[in-house]
Amino acid sequence: MQFEKEVEIQVPREKVWNFIWDVDRFVACVPGCKEAKTIEAGKLYSATMIEKVGPFRVEFPTTIEVLEREDLTRIKAQASGADNKIGSRMKLSLDVKLREQGEKTVLGFVAGVDILGKLAALGHGIIKRKADQVLDEFAQAVKKHLEGDS
Amino acid sequence: MLRPFRLEEPESVKEVSELLGRFGESAKVYAGGTELLLAMKEGLVHYERLINVKNVKGLNEVTSDNGMLRIGALCTHRQLETSPLLQQKLAALVRLEQNVANVRVRQVGTLGGNLCFAEPHADPGILLLALGATMVAERASSKREIPAEEFFVDAYETCVEPDEVLTEIRVPVPARNSGVAYLKFGYLERPSVGVAVAFQVQESGRSIHDIKVAVGCAGPAPKRVPEAEEQLKGKSLDEATINISKAGEIAGRAAQAISDLHGSQEYKEHIVGVLLKRAFQNALSQYRAVQS
Amino acid sequence: MSKVMLRRADAQTIPLSFTLNGRLQELAVEPHELLLDVVRERLGLTGAKRSCDVEVCGACTLLVDGRPISACTTLAFEVRDRSVLTIEGLADDGRLHPLQEAFIEHGGFQCGFCTPGMILAAKALLDENPNPTEDELKHFMHGNICRCTGYKKIIESIMAAAKFMHGSRA
Repeated sequence: MQFEKEVEIQVPREKVWNFIWDVDRFVACVPGCKEAKTIEAGKLYSATMIEKVGPFRVEFPTTIEVLEREDLTRIKAQASGADNKIGSRMKLSLDVKLREQGEKTVLGFVAGVDILGKLAALGHGIIKRKADQVLDEFAQAVKKHLEGDS
Repeated sequence: MLRPFRLEEPESVKEVSELLGRFGESAKVYAGGTELLLAMKEGLVHYERLINVKNVKGLNEVTSDNGMLRIGALCTHRQLETSPLLQQKLAALVRLEQNVANVRVRQVGTLGGNLCFAEPHADPGILLLALGATMVAERASSKREIPAEEFFVDAYETCVEPDEVLTEIRVPVPARNSGVAYLKFGYLERPSVGVAVAFQVQESGRSIHDIKVAVGCAGPAPKRVPEAEEQLKGKSLDEATINISKAGEIAGRAAQAISDLHGSQEYKEHIVGVLLKRAFQNALSQYRAVQS
Repeated sequence: MSKVMLRRADAQTIPLSFTLNGRLQELAVEPHELLLDVVRERLGLTGAKRSCDVEVCGACTLLVDGRPISACTTLAFEVRDRSVLTIEGLADDGRLHPLQEAFIEHGGFQCGFCTPGMILAAKALLDENPNPTEDELKHFMHGNICRCTGYKKIIESIMAAAKFMHGSRA
């Protein structure tokens, strides 16, 4: 599943860029994400993703790997995790772009989400909606955090 | 194979509620099990305790009380499809129940279980919304009535609290000058699109005085579509018949359809429109048949 | 063939007493045991099949108090004090039931995998509605799936059995 999101943030690009690398604050914006750790700064991180749909709950210990970075402009990353209790895996590819627009920054990202294994039995539609919700909330949370600060 | 769990067999709603309160998320109400056991077999959920509510008396009756039909939450689909009272007063629900899943699921699956599990691809909730039903949820020492519009929150999610038990579904008996219809479409195991319409024609027989339109299965939870209802409310029967296509388009867009194995978003939206038109015509025929 | 049931020391067991094909059965089951597994593995009656495992196909159909259920999704303790009929219990002392005769005579099965469930469901249908119309038959039997026959012969078999058992539909 592919998702494209864009959010306008009323702060300069540098601020957004630095925010992204501030792991704890950044992870606080991802709904259901906890226990973020830096394994290798700038390269490898880990976190736990917990999501719930009704009675169904998944807990993915996730590894996040930064593949490419262009300072102040772009980040490409991929994440993967497995919930062995449920027998499901999650793969996420993320392409984040920052664009300056005067005093504002446009933060855009393209996310590819794949859920494999038993959880897929819930139905493509449900998972797609949930992923969409999570990404929406994330984008809004980043905006709120940054604008709230200044 | 299921993972082992303990079975609790309380005999009162109070006991059920107390068990739910005590064990929280590790316990679940178990009635027919037609949805719950599937999820457990898949390994998608696990509970340490299943609370068998079938020994609680008084929750599986269909009665009529002053123009209000009272359906016990533990009534099976089979009971509802064969209920003489429902056949007499709410034939549209009987028709719906006759076509839920298959004869084996209908034999043990309960209306309450169906509503509480809130599987998106389900029939009864849609018609209950259009009929203005209310759901009764009880705890040890309290009881509340939840309008159907508030009951369904999201896919697999209702507003029933963790220690509450759904005990009854109340449906006002449609008046004599009413038309009620539920239609569904699907070719997979579960329905892909469901539409219900219920209206009352006002005394002079010339215009629609109250109408409810509900859609479901295509989206995460069943919902009413007031914007579609507005196309038809207060209109003469002829005008409403003309407006039904527009109402159908509105209802389709409101259905929150997502492209999946059941069909593309556009296809589902289109089918909502088709079903609304047919359901409306169906309901209109019923109304006219009663008048003559 | 009976299998020794290994249990955890703290396992909850439920005494299960029920009538199986006309005879009293008594055993103890744990709450999570499925009826299909008890019937197939512990009681050795393998006519009922685990096929889709999600209550859709009907290959696991058993009759409980004369009504069809999906044994794959029924907890075994639910049949306590009730009567259960499997395909093995349909023939009377070696004499085939009219439905079984009809399925043979009219070609109502090919591989036979769906057949036990199909016949039991048909029995429940005819017990409830001795002379169904074809539409009524199809509606009732809608939940029993066959991959071989294309259903025509199954319908003919059931209608023939109905005619034999209860006379023609006027």
